[in-house]
Parts: sequence; C-alpha cells; structure tokens
Amino acid sequence: MALPKRIIKETERLMAEPVPGIKAIPHEDNLRYFDVEVHGPSQSPYENGIFKLELFLPDDYPMTPPKIRFLTRIYHPNIDKLGRICLDVLKSNWSPALQIRTILLSIQALLGAPNPDDPLANDVAQRWKEDEPAAIQTAREWTRMYAVSENR
Amino acid sequence: MSYGDVDPRPTKKRRFFAEESSGSDSTLRKDASLTDELDALPEAPPVEIIGNDPEISSSHNAMGAEPTADGQNTLSSDQPSLKAKSGVSENATQHQESHKENGFDTQVFATFVGEELPPSTMKTLRQVSGDNMERAINMYFDGSWKATAPTIRPVDDTRSVFEAQTQKAPPPRSRDSPTDIPGASITETRRQSNLQDMPEWRYIGAFGVGGWATKSGLNLLRHGESVKIERAKIQPPTPKLGRSGKVTAGPRAANRRGDIIVRFTNSRGEEIGRLPKETAAWVSTLIDQKICRFDGVCVYTPIRIRTNDTIYLQLRCSLLRRAFEAGGFVKPSDNNRTTGLFEAKETEEEKDLRLRQTGLIKLFDEINLHPLKSNEQTLKHKRKGLLQAAEMAEHFDESKKPKPDENNTSSPPSSEDAEEGEELEQDQLDTLYKKAQTFDFDTPVAQPADTFAMDLRPYQRQALHWMIQKEKDEKRSSKEVSMHPLWEEYSWPTKDVDDKDLPQVVDQDKFYVNPYSGELSLDFPVQEQNCLGGILADEMGLGKTIEMLSLVHTHKSDIAIQASQLTHTSVNELPRLPLNSSSVENAPCTTLVIAPMSLLAQWHSEAENASKPGTMRSIVYYGSDKTASLQTLCRESNAASAPHVVITSYGVALSEFNQVVANNGNRGSHGGLFSLNFFRVILDEAHHIKNRQSKTAKACYEIAARHRWVLTGTPIVNRLEDLFSLVRFLRVEPWSNFSFWKTFITVPFESKDFIRALDVVQTVLEPLVLRRTKDMKTPDGEPLVPLPPRRIEIEEIELSKQEREVYDYIFNRAKRTFAAKVEAGTVMKSYTTIFAQILRLRQSCCHPVLTRNKTIVAEEEEAAAAADEASGLADDIDLQDLINRFESDDGDEDANRFGAHVLKQIQDESENECPICSEEPMIEQTVAGCWHSACKECLLNYIEHQKNKGETPRCFNCRERINEREIFEVIRHDSGKRTGIIAGSHSENLIPPGSSRQQSLPFFSSTSHAPASDSDSIQSYPHTSTPTFPSSGPAIESTSNVTPCSSSFLSQISLRRIGSHTSAKIAALLTHLKRLRHENPSIKSVVFSQFTAFLDLLEPALARDGIRFLRFDGSMAQKQRAAVLAQFAASPESAGGLVLLLSLRAGGVGLNLTSAQRVFMMDPWWSYAVESQAIDRVHRMGQTSSVYVHRFIVKDSVEQRMLKIQDRKMFIASSLGMVSDEEKKLQRLEDIRELLS
Repeated sequence: MALPKRIIKETERLMAEPVPGIKAIPHEDNLRYFDVEVHGPSQSPYENGIFKLELFLPDDYPMTPPKIRFLTRIYHPNIDKLGRICLDVLKSNWSPALQIRTILLSIQALLGAPNPDDPLANDVAQRWKEDEPAAIQTAREWTRMYAVSENR
Repeated sequence: MSYGDVDPRPTKKRRFFAEESSGSDSTLRKDASLTDELDALPEAPPVEIIGNDPEISSSHNAMGAEPTADGQNTLSSDQPSLKAKSGVSENATQHQESHKENGFDTQVFATFVGEELPPSTMKTLRQVSGDNMERAINMYFDGSWKATAPTIRPVDDTRSVFEAQTQKAPPPRSRDSPTDIPGASITETRRQSNLQDMPEWRYIGAFGVGGWATKSGLNLLRHGESVKIERAKIQPPTPKLGRSGKVTAGPRAANRRGDIIVRFTNSRGEEIGRLPKETAAWVSTLIDQKICRFDGVCVYTPIRIRTNDTIYLQLRCSLLRRAFEAGGFVKPSDNNRTTGLFEAKETEEEKDLRLRQTGLIKLFDEINLHPLKSNEQTLKHKRKGLLQAAEMAEHFDESKKPKPDENNTSSPPSSEDAEEGEELEQDQLDTLYKKAQTFDFDTPVAQPADTFAMDLRPYQRQALHWMIQKEKDEKRSSKEVSMHPLWEEYSWPTKDVDDKDLPQVVDQDKFYVNPYSGELSLDFPVQEQNCLGGILADEMGLGKTIEMLSLVHTHKSDIAIQASQLTHTSVNELPRLPLNSSSVENAPCTTLVIAPMSLLAQWHSEAENASKPGTMRSIVYYGSDKTASLQTLCRESNAASAPHVVITSYGVALSEFNQVVANNGNRGSHGGLFSLNFFRVILDEAHHIKNRQSKTAKACYEIAARHRWVLTGTPIVNRLEDLFSLVRFLRVEPWSNFSFWKTFITVPFESKDFIRALDVVQTVLEPLVLRRTKDMKTPDGEPLVPLPPRRIEIEEIELSKQEREVYDYIFNRAKRTFAAKVEAGTVMKSYTTIFAQILRLRQSCCHPVLTRNKTIVAEEEEAAAAADEASGLADDIDLQDLINRFESDDGDEDANRFGAHVLKQIQDESENECPICSEEPMIEQTVAGCWHSACKECLLNYIEHQKNKGETPRCFNCRERINEREIFEVIRHDSGKRTGIIAGSHSENLIPPGSSRQQSLPFFSSTSHAPASDSDSIQSYPHTSTPTFPSSGPAIESTSNVTPCSSSFLSQISLRRIGSHTSAKIAALLTHLKRLRHENPSIKSVVFSQFTAFLDLLEPALARDGIRFLRFDGSMAQKQRAAVLAQFAASPESAGGLVLLLSLRAGGVGLNLTSAQRVFMMDPWWSYAVESQAIDRVHRMGQTSSVYVHRFIVKDSVEQRMLKIQDRKMFIASSLGMVSDEEKKLQRLEDIRELLS
C-alpha cells in the first residue's frame, strides 16, 4: 500500500522543521513506524530527561490516531509501566486535523502537567495525590535513572 | 371547365338535366348526361330503360303526377335541339356511327375547332375528355386539357392527390361524370372498344323473392305475368332536398335519399306491391347506380290479393352495358385522397362505393354466381372476406344508429379515420413479428459493387441480394400475365334460370368484377407490377443504412452506368434543356433518402464512409443547404454530375408538398422533390408516416420513384393500419387499396378474428419484408451480430428524508383521489387527473422540484388536463411547504450567520492544504457549519467514520458538532481553476464563448430552467468590504433565478449545500460519473431521462462537479443536433469522459451513440421496449466494448411498481389515447391500483 500523501508530507516537515525538544525518525523499512525522542520539559520532574517512544501510524490514519508508547520508563500518573499513555487526543479526542508533531507536543505537555485525576498508573496517581512532593521526587529519580543515564 | 358560357340552355331544361342524373347534386352534370343520352337513346327507347331514369318510367307509369313530369316527357323530342344549342347538333347525330366505332371522330372535332390538330394533341384531348366530343371541344377552347393532361396515369388506384387537386380547381362537378377521373380514361378507351359488342344489358342470373302487396283486389296479377321492377316514383324535387331526407333511413338506408323502396307493377302499369326491405336495400342501389336491371315474373300470387299479402316473384337480373363503361361509375374513391381539411369522414362518394360493393356482393350471392378465378392471395380468405365486406357496411351503419342526429347532419360515419384501427397488444405484436421473421439463412448472397468501401457481413450480403432481386424483379417478368389481384373473373351464364340458352356474344364469355371498388369490366384486368422495392425491417443495429447504401452502389440504372463511364464528357456535349422544365423529369442516377431531421447528418457521413473516395456524390437537401433547383441538378441530362444520393427530411418533403399543392399540383415547375422521378426513394425510420391521414404520409406517397423502399425497425408501432401506410407508400397492389385492406385486415381484426387478420398480414408482409433480429442465430448457432456484452443493473435509490416527505405527500394524495374517484364511480372519466398525479409521483422520484414545473406537466398531458392540474396546484399549500423546506431549509438563519469575513476566510483557507489529507489546495473544498474546511471527500469520510463509531460528528478542527445539513461545498467561479467545463447548456454549445459572464459563470445560464438548482448557493464577492449581510441579504441566492449582476469579480465563491440539495438520483449519478472519471477517465456516458426539465437540473449538477457534458433534446434545431452528435462522437479520449444528456423521446430512436460505453437511465418508462431502444443507441453495431447500463429506480416507490408492469408488458401509457375501450380501461384500472398500492 502506497504511503498516503499526508504521511509523506508530515515526515518531510518533521525533518525539515524539527520541533525543539522533539525528534521523530521513521524506520527505513517501515515508514509508518517512527522512533521518537521527547525532551522532558524544563521545570518539570522530567527536565533533562530524554524519553524514547515508538510511534506507529495505522492504516486508517489520520482517521484513527497514531499508536504511541513510551519505551523509556517514566514515573507519571498518566503513563503506565508498559509505557501506554492516557491522553484524550490519542483516544476520544483525536481528530484527523492533529498530526504527529502536534500529538508529540501534547505528550511533552503532559509531562509538564500530570493529571492524577485521570490516572492510568493507579499507584502513581495515588501517590501523586497523597504526597505530591514525594511523587515528584520519585519522578526525578526515575528520570535520572532511566532517561538521563541511558542517554549520557 | 365552365360550360355555362358555351352552353346557354333554357333554364327549365337545364333543371331537367340536373334532376335527370339521379344521384347527382350538381348542375354541371348536364354534359355527362347528354352523352349518356347520345349513347342510349337511338337504341333503347326511354320506356325500356327501367331504373335508368326513374322520371321517365314514372311518366310512363300512370301515377306520374308531378308538374315537371310534363316537361320531362318531352325529353326525346328536345334532344336534337339541345344538341343544336350546345353546338354538336346534326354532326353528332350524323357521325353517331363513327362515334360508336371509334369512340371519337377526329374529323368532326376538326370541323368544330376549325383546325387540324397534331395526333398527339388529339390523343391527349381524347383521354382528357374521356372520348366525349363535346367535352373535348369545350376543353380545347378553354385550355383546361393542358392542365389535366400531364397528370394522367394509367392506373387509377394510384391516383394522386395532385390530380384530385386539379380536378377540384373547377368548382363542383358531378361525381359520375365520365371525365371526373382523367386517369381512368385510357382504360375507358380500351373498355369502350370492347363494349360496343355488348348488348344494352346482359342476363347474369335470377333469384326468388317474396314481395308484399300494397294493394288489394282481384286478379291484379296472374301467375307467370311479368312484372316491372321500379324505383319509387316519388322523387324528391331536387337532390338537395333529398339528401336531407335521409333521416328516415332504414338499417342500410345509407342511400342518399334514405329511400330504398322498390315497387313492382303489373303489365298494366299498376303498382302491386313492393320488394321486402332487405332485398330492396341493395336492389335499389343497383338500380339507382345504373348497374342492373331487374325483370320480374310472378311465380305465385293469391287470386285475391289483400294488402300485405306475399307475392312470390322471380327476378331476372341483367347487368347494364353502361355499368361497364367506366364513366357509369363512381370511381373507387378510396384512394386516401382525403386531401381536404374539412372533408367529412365518409364522403358521399365513399358511401356510394360502399353501397355498390354491398349491392354487388348481395346480388352475386343471391344468384349464386361465383368467380371462376380470383387472386391467389385472396382466395384463401375470399369467401369470408366478401361476406364480411357486406357486414362491414352494416356494421358501420349500426355504429351510427345510437347517435342518429350527429350522423345525419354532418359527417356520415364509417372509417373512423383519425383513430383508425384498434391497437395491438404487445403480445399480438410479438406474434406478428415472429411470423414475419421467418428468415431463410440459405438465401443467396450478393457481392456489393467494388465502389462500396465497407465489408458486409454475410446476412447483409443476403439482404443486398434480396433487395437487388426485389428491384430487378426477375421472377415476375418471366411469369405469365396474371390477373390484377383486386379483380375476380366471372363467366356470363350460358343458360338462364329456365335452362334456356342465352344469346352469347362473341369473345365475351367472361366479365370481371372488382369487389373492392365495385367496378365491372369486360377486359382482363392485368396486374400492374409497380412495387419494385420493399420493407427492410431489420432490427435496429443490424445496419439497415449500410445495407441500403450497398444497394445504392450495386444496383444502378443503365443511364447511371453509362454516365459513370462517360465521366469525361465536356459540358458542351451535354444536351441542352430549358432551365426549368415544367414537367416531371427523370432522375435516373439519384436515390432520394427521406429521414428524420436528426439523422440527416448521420446518413450523409455514412454515405461518405461507405464509399470509395470519389464514387459517391451525396448532398443534404435541407434548410438553407437546399439547392435552387433539384430538378436541374438531378435530371437525366445532367446524369454525369447528378448526385447519387439526396438526403432530405420529412419536414422538407411536407413543406414542398404543400407548395406544390398550393400551386395546383404543378409538380414540374416547383423544381424540388416532386419535380423528379427518382431512381429510388428510401424512407428511413418509416414509421414516421404510419398515420395514413397525416400530410407527411401523403407527401411521401407522392414522391415519384422507380424503386421504393422503407426502412424501419418497427413496421407496426401499435396499429395494423401503421403497416397499411407503408404498403400504400410502396404502392403494393392490392393492399394499397384501403378498401381491400379494410376488408381483409381491419374488419376481421376488429371483429376479434385475430388469427385470420394476422394471417393475412403475414401474407402481405412475407414477400415485402426482410426482417432479422439481433438475437437471431445463424445455423451454426452464431449470433448474427456479435455484439460485446451488455450488462444492465437496476440500482435502487433511497430517497432522502425530505424527498420522501414530498413523495409521500403526493402519493397519499394520488391515492386519496383515486379512492374517491373509485367510490364516486368516475374513475373512467378522471383518467387524466389520475395520470397527472402519477406523473407527479414519478417526477418526485427524480427531483422534488420537478413536480412544480408546469412545463413538464404540459409536455406530458393534454392542455386541458394541464389547466386542471394548475388549478389543483394553486391550493396545494402543504406540498409547497414541503418543497420549500426541501429547497431552502433555514435559509434566513444561515444568512445571519454568513458574514463576508467568513467567506473571505474560507477563500483564504482554500489555498491551504487539507488538514486531513494534506492535499494542497483542497480537492472540492468543503466547509462545515463552523467554517473549517477540508477536502469534500476527507470531510465526508471523517463524518462517516465518526458515525460508524457511534459518535456524534464533530469538526476535526474545533470539535464543534457538525450539522450534516450544513456542509457546503465551496464553488469557485474563476474559470481558470476549474478545468474542462464545457459550456454547460446546449445554448452555449453554439454560442461562441464571447461573453465573460458565461465564461466566469459556466452554469448560471441554465438556471432559468432549474429554479432550485442553485438556490442554496451563497455568493461572495471577496473584495467588497460589506462586513455583514442583512438578514435575507443579497449574498443568498433565493429560489428565484438570481444571477449575479456583475461579472467583474475575478474570483468569486459560492457555497452549495452538500447532500440535501441534489436529489438522491442526481447524487447517485454523480457518484457513478465521478468514480468513472477516477477509474477510467476516457469513457463517455449517455444519460437518458424522459423529463427534459430533469436534464435541466442535471446540467448544473454536472457543471459544478466539473463533468463535461453535452445535451441533446427535442427543442434543438437540426444543425445543433448534428453539431452535438458530432462533438460527442469526435471528442478524443484524451479529453476525458464526456456525458451526453438526452431526452428519451428525442434521443431514443435512430441515433448512433456507440462512442459511449455507459448508459444511465434516470427514470423508467411504461414500456421497457422504449428504454431498450434507447439503450440500443449505445449497444448497437459498431460498439466495441462492453456496455454497462444503470437504471435508477427509487426504492419503495411507484417506479418499482412500474417495473412490475413493464414485466407484464402492459402498455398503460396508451390508455390516454384509448379512452373508448372499456376492457382495456379496466385492465389499466388494475394497473393504477397496483401503482398506488
């Protein structure tokens, strides 16, 4: 199946005008599969961390959202230990007008603004609610442990 | 030929002569009767001419009491002086002997006119005058013989309307004057030569009859006493009065006086009694028309007679000699010469003819006289036919019984000319065709001439062989002379009823009767073979045109062959002729083709294509292309450069015919079609002349040609009479005689004797018709024409909610109307109303707006019904509401929300890429109610996607809920962007695209037909600064035909609502066409609809989507049609798919549209045959690829039920014209019930 024009264009643009703090590179053998790196936003527990994700564009993209998963472990109430992400635009609020770029920005924003009220990792969310500073501290440690050490 | 001046007789005598001709109403009768006297008087004293002249016999009879009778009694003594006054005088008497011998004494003639005339002039004069000296003299002096002369034809059955015209030129003349029929005079001459040997009358037989006494008394009559048979003596004073007297008519009292009384008198001249009515009815005719004399002998009588006693008589009948004189008869007037607009349905002549027919038949029946020989063709059916001919007369009389007033006053009944013949049911037609389709595959083939450029298929070569045979008629020439099929041979009896020998006349032992014209003759009637052509009725698509053209190439006249060999003849060597000849000239090289206007161009190009270069000269003779004088061009002397084929239309034939008629039938000087005697004439789509009463048909009959051909795929459209007109055109004896036709075909058919009628039709068709059908197989089982496959799919259409509301509304109302009419018992009378409603129902299946279009209504119905309809619509508020809702739902609201800035934004955005597919610019930019745009397909897909997931559709951008009715396609009107729109409507096809408005607004020009087509469009003029529009502001196109007032804006956009506005059918069509464009852009399509207004709606829809189209309908002129067809055929594949919109009626027949491969039938017709014909425009010979046909049928609607009716082959539409037939109406009632179930 030929690659739709949209995917080609998106890919080209991601290469030509990369978003600061975000990198997405398609696999050579499967242009629908992307290796993604997202920098943890500053002033967040994930600052300085570089998180790896995998992104896959299904056949009916952009009617259906891309499938995205964190490969790097992360301590976040909306991301479970398998790396799955709880984000409305990836589910019910997806719109074909959204793109890889915008969705990755959303994920980056999610790192900066965790939402423990709509949890995916229940234990993390619990902790976040009960003792936020401690939770943030754990997140920082995880970042240093998994996101920074691996990278540096 | 006015005799008044030449012949000043005393008034009284003139009156006598007027009366003397019993049947005549004309004073001009005098000349004819004078001749009669000349013949009759010296040999037979007046007293013996019984029945010949009732006045005389009545004076002989003691009862004659009228004052005028005295004067009349002086007849014989007056005779010489009369002659003297009219200038014939002693000479005539003196030369009576020579008159008898030669029929005409040229010497005497020369004496009178004072000069010797050349023999040729003499001959003409004699013909014209019917060998009547006095007439000849008169005609010579007033010059009228010249006018009559050229039109003489030997065969009076083919007597032309022109001749009728010339005859009518001089005011009324006696119908049985011998010169009434100039065409008959040749035969007359022949007959008269034979006649001289015949005695004044000759016995043919006797029969018994029981008369009833009107008198009482003793010994009035004795056994064995001879009685005289006489017509009623009380003659009405003038024929005029007599005619009005026919109110008293008995069952067969079609006698013009309504008087059929026949008396008999004893030897003393006393009236004894009368013949019974049944016998008197025909005996009176025979006596009045001077055909027979009857001599009676009393067989039994009571000695004492009381009134009303029965007296048995034996009547001996003799045929009068004068009955054999053609002049003694009314000619068969049944030659379709009903030229006059105001002609009564049955003329007096026709009635006389009918009475005479009946009389003769009854007579022969009574005296048990049978023909020795009659035509083979008729033999089979003769007995029944003759009897039925008699019944026919009664039948017609019976038919007038119920309404005596009507018929007595103006039009005597008989052949209902306008609506003649019953319609054939489809299955009967099928049977008939099946019978006519016996085609022998062993028929030899002929090779076309080498100038013919195409390859013929085997069956086409067979057709060529058959046609050449028909034209050369080789078989027939070798045959012995056969009797004219209309005539029957009888032998004179040699013994009378008492077994006594009768005097015989040398060389006259037989006589001949034409029971169809009532003519009698002593001479053998020779069969005139004048049909050197036939009917080529191959089914459409088998290549009739090509077959015909191969004939044109292959069989040429000798002159044409010579001419083609002498191509180098210099102009000077050509014989010189005056510029315009006044007579009809031969055109020995020319074949005339008459075709419907729409096919002229096709004929022309096929003629060129089928011929090797330079071997065929063909011209189209039409409109401004008409050459000044066709005669000059085609005449024999111009043989070397005359066109081989002249192609013209029925319309041209008709208009030239009218011109010639207006010019008193002077064919020659007109210089057009009628001034030539063509080598061959071909009528294409000959069912155009199916109505023998139509002027077009009459015009075609008059085309003179040696070979006559008709081409038609449907020789019978729905009446057997359709076929008659073709046969009449071909001049096939005996069938071109309508009386004959009626007797053998119409009458049996109408009396439900279908098998016999169809059997006869088959006999007619068999030698004349060549018909092959597409599904015929050769003996090896191969189809005749291997055509690529054709697939027909019925596509069910689901109406949108709004459409369904409109449909249901109309449906319920129609149903209510029907139920109410049924209840009131007036269904039969309200057919038109109900049909009008069904029509609207069908229209609403196509597009709700159509139901509002009065023009369609008018198209489809009679004006009265339409008016009815209109008033019905006026108070039809509910429907209007529904349609309004359909047309402009929430229009005002939208208007409030549509600001100019929004449109500006939309326009700006349109340059962007689609947020969904990233196309740039968007494909068919479409906006939702929130003004976010995407490609149309992307947006609709997304909405669909969401709906499939059970979600409410929301904007992809702002997540605003999307109202599906508020999705608009953005239409840009800058012509540069939209590629490939052919100027939309047909009007533009021919107008050079000069006006900028048309260029920038490709489809607005057609909106006048389609009020709602763009009703939802929102116009924007982006460079204006108006911030907002008032509530129903100018930006909205209302339902009226607003077209933009200015064309100066380079780039305008408008919004068109998607989905709701085009009807479901239009949407389905567009889907198909777009898919086609996507998958196979080069394929051309054809779209048929029976509603031209629907085509009007399709045009803008196609234009919007950038689909190139052309249009062809009945309103277009010939040149336009040709241009459209040429453009459609010629459009190269690379130019992309082209769509041709056709109205079913205008485009359903004849056309060749094989360049298309897709057919879309927008709406079903009552009979599938019509649709199938239309489909065959594309799927016919020449089609190279498979054809896909889509028939759009709205689900659960009247259309679906129509399909069922189609299956049953019921022909419901015809019921509009068939109001009289109760049975069929009942059947149709059932159909309607089903439609509205």
